[in-house]
Amino acid sequence: MSDGMKKGIRSRSSVPVVKKKVSFKVYMKRYWQLYVLLALPLIYLLVFKYIPMAYVQIAFKKYQLNKSIWAMPLAKKNGFEYYIKAFKDRDFLFALRNTLLLNLKDLVFGFPAPIIFALVLNELPFKGFKKVVQTIAYMPHFLSWVIIGNLSLQLFAKDTGMVNMLIKSLGGSSIPFIAESAHWVRTYIGWGIWQSFGWNSIVYLAAIAGISPDLYEAASMDGAGRFQKMWHITLPSLKPTIVVLLIMNLGYIMGGGMERPMALYNNLVMDKADVIATYVYRVGIKGLQFSLTTAVGLFQSVVGVILILTANFVSRKLGERGIW
Amino acid sequence: MKKKILSVLLALTMVASLAACDNGGKASEESSSSSGAPSIDASKMEEAEKAGADFENGKFKETKKIVVEIYDRGNDGGSDPENNLYTDYIKKGMLEDHNVEVTFKKVPRWTEVDEINNLLAAGTAPDVCVTYSYPTIQTYANMGGVIDLAPYIEQYKSEIPNLWNWLGETNIYWDRDPKTGTLWCVEAKLAVSNRVITFVRQDWLDKLGLKAPTTKAEFESMLVAFKDNASTLLGSDASKIVPYSVSYDVGWRAATLIESFLDPAMSDKEYYVNGFDDRKLTQNGTKEGVRLLNKWYNMGLMWNDFAQYGSGDTTEDDMMKAGFVGAFTHNWDYPYRNGDDSINANLQRNVGPNAKFVAIDPFEDKNGTHTKFVSGPIDRKVFFPATNDEPLASLLYLDWISAPEHIQYLQIGDEGVTHDVTADGAIQVKAATGNAIMNSGMNIDYTITVNGLKLTSDELTNKSRALNYPGIPAEDVVNSHKIANTDLRVGKNVNVGAIEAEEGIGDTLSQKRDIAYDKAVVASTADFDKVWDEEIKNYLSAGGQAIIDERTEKWEEFFGSSDMLK
Repeated sequence: MSDGMKKGIRSRSSVPVVKKKVSFKVYMKRYWQLYVLLALPLIYLLVFKYIPMAYVQIAFKKYQLNKSIWAMPLAKKNGFEYYIKAFKDRDFLFALRNTLLLNLKDLVFGFPAPIIFALVLNELPFKGFKKVVQTIAYMPHFLSWVIIGNLSLQLFAKDTGMVNMLIKSLGGSSIPFIAESAHWVRTYIGWGIWQSFGWNSIVYLAAIAGISPDLYEAASMDGAGRFQKMWHITLPSLKPTIVVLLIMNLGYIMGGGMERPMALYNNLVMDKADVIATYVYRVGIKGLQFSLTTAVGLFQSVVGVILILTANFVSRKLGERGIW
Repeated sequence: MKKKILSVLLALTMVASLAACDNGGKASEESSSSSGAPSIDASKMEEAEKAGADFENGKFKETKKIVVEIYDRGNDGGSDPENNLYTDYIKKGMLEDHNVEVTFKKVPRWTEVDEINNLLAAGTAPDVCVTYSYPTIQTYANMGGVIDLAPYIEQYKSEIPNLWNWLGETNIYWDRDPKTGTLWCVEAKLAVSNRVITFVRQDWLDKLGLKAPTTKAEFESMLVAFKDNASTLLGSDASKIVPYSVSYDVGWRAATLIESFLDPAMSDKEYYVNGFDDRKLTQNGTKEGVRLLNKWYNMGLMWNDFAQYGSGDTTEDDMMKAGFVGAFTHNWDYPYRNGDDSINANLQRNVGPNAKFVAIDPFEDKNGTHTKFVSGPIDRKVFFPATNDEPLASLLYLDWISAPEHIQYLQIGDEGVTHDVTADGAIQVKAATGNAIMNSGMNIDYTITVNGLKLTSDELTNKSRALNYPGIPAEDVVNSHKIANTDLRVGKNVNVGAIEAEEGIGDTLSQKRDIAYDKAVVASTADFDKVWDEEIKNYLSAGGQAIIDERTEKWEEFFGSSDMLK
């Protein structure tokens, strides 16, 4: 690279410019504003993503408050003490299982929801009504999980929840929506869909808007009905978007934030509700076992990367564009 | 070309970031090697000696600054816990007496352990910290994050007479390591050892013609009577009745019930070995107590949603205030606290002049007595994090707030504003308004070395105790105090040094304990044994068993085959 650059500069000074190649200097002079703009996100990545990577070594060391990460002693068993400990810890294994199960259920039930919503919305003939519906559907996205958690309590608690009060006043018996594991999982998935389907449909609506109307017109000429147009034009046009989003979502299957389970769980459903993020918070931050939870976090990231790479590979094999 | 430049840039940033880390690492390595665990004390001691040079007659020549932790209870109508009438009193006094400038740092009361953890980890903890959790202090001490108080307490003994007089050897050295002599914190002293007792709605008993229950069987039939007569008691709100209420923290909020199933003559060794959990989860007998709660739950005598509401939530209190709750177990003065906003005051406003909770003692143990297991005379633990540069000034602070006249002022405030003096000289506390409102009863959050009324003389204290709750009839308080002091078994100091297995596990185990209690209470009757045994197995395998084993080992090391402490 630098050789080529130097050659470029030299050739410029000696030989009259024949090639279209521009020298580094000239290039920078011309486009420096763009690079300055690029510097901001790069600095962000540097400060918040790359520098913290140095601290990953805590996973292999015995954490000490008053030493720098470079001076902390290596953990037992060649540094793998905390990995062994984690995989012997029943709580961690439960959290791992719950993370996978909850995220998988989210994917199965939550992923198609915005697609279906976008398709339905697209078929609405009244522009005004469509806008109103769309806006209302976005709104929950802006609610924090703490608020939703409290809403959930006010609506679904056995004695004091509004829904259960209604059921009881109609003569039924109350349903433990949030007080029993299996019900809780359904409530959790439901809240997730409710909170995000409107917002997630934006990208699909944008993709639909980009489909050439010619295709629909041609299909109509050939006598295609609404469903046929949806099936043969809209959905195939959405396919690349769907695949990219699916790959990204697969990457999250080992991850996921801690706010949602944290705001919704309670002591009675912990066996199904405790996920890695909440486990890390509880055991690591509150229990001060920083090494153990860094190990867990690193494990989570590595699996996440593997999942993304695999999904990307499969999608390319299937003839779709990957994300890179 | 563009791509190439981009990749160079990226590579550069990577290199730069690594270099930056390296530098940062080295820099902090140097600083840490100069202040490694053992040398911290040495350098601090030198500083302290230097400080001693400009310290004369209890006063610094140059103004020192310290930051003190204060609980924030966020109560309605309260004042800013960092700046109010009482903080001004302390700040002014400390500045005048010792030339120390005090700032307060508020920490939410109900999440104090988490909060202190975060502050300590970030190195921004106040100079004087207070917590109820010894394991938190021990864990940080092991990481080199806490100052060893032992040398300072000795060196400055003559400067801190009030602290020595009030806490004495017992409380100051309660946590001193028997082998190394290190001391990570001093224990505040309980002026009264009253813990939890049970309360019942007097007006409901009267309405149904019932007597106050004195046994578990009578208590149960009383709860059934409440439920069966819900429409008489609550009218259209009958469906909201909660005959007996607990919170998610069952082990605390049903403590007297659970303790009545423990053997009152249990050996000190057994009590200690199984006693890491102060909610008595692993004591022998607890299971039967929870079985009774489970029975009541399945009979519909308890609040269905108790496990859904977390720490600090006011839903349960609101139900008590609204008059839906028949009986509950709580701190011995709980329905009387907070003046105009007390549970009993609210009941009278919402239900009627006769409505009130009174104390009862219905849970008999196997001897027919009402044994209550209370801790030793210890309360909160006060410690100085390693980031504290002013240990002397901080100790002087503890001394200042332990002075009898300062405790008295903070507890009862100004005459005519927060209290009146009765004809026989007793202090009658009255509901304060505006700036004089105390955020915590008797300003317990400011008097961090004492819990409970402690006036300048014992005579005055005893005379005034019953008049300490504005609007509450003295006989109700006297009755509560009497019940809370019936058949006490006071905990002893089993000092065998740090138990390694307890390190960093406290929070995890507390949550497991709550889960065990909650799930067992709501289990179906048929599943109770299965659920309880499963959850206990869980608790033990998560670290509970290791603690029991190590405690047994340590007990035998220090006390041999003896089962009781002298």
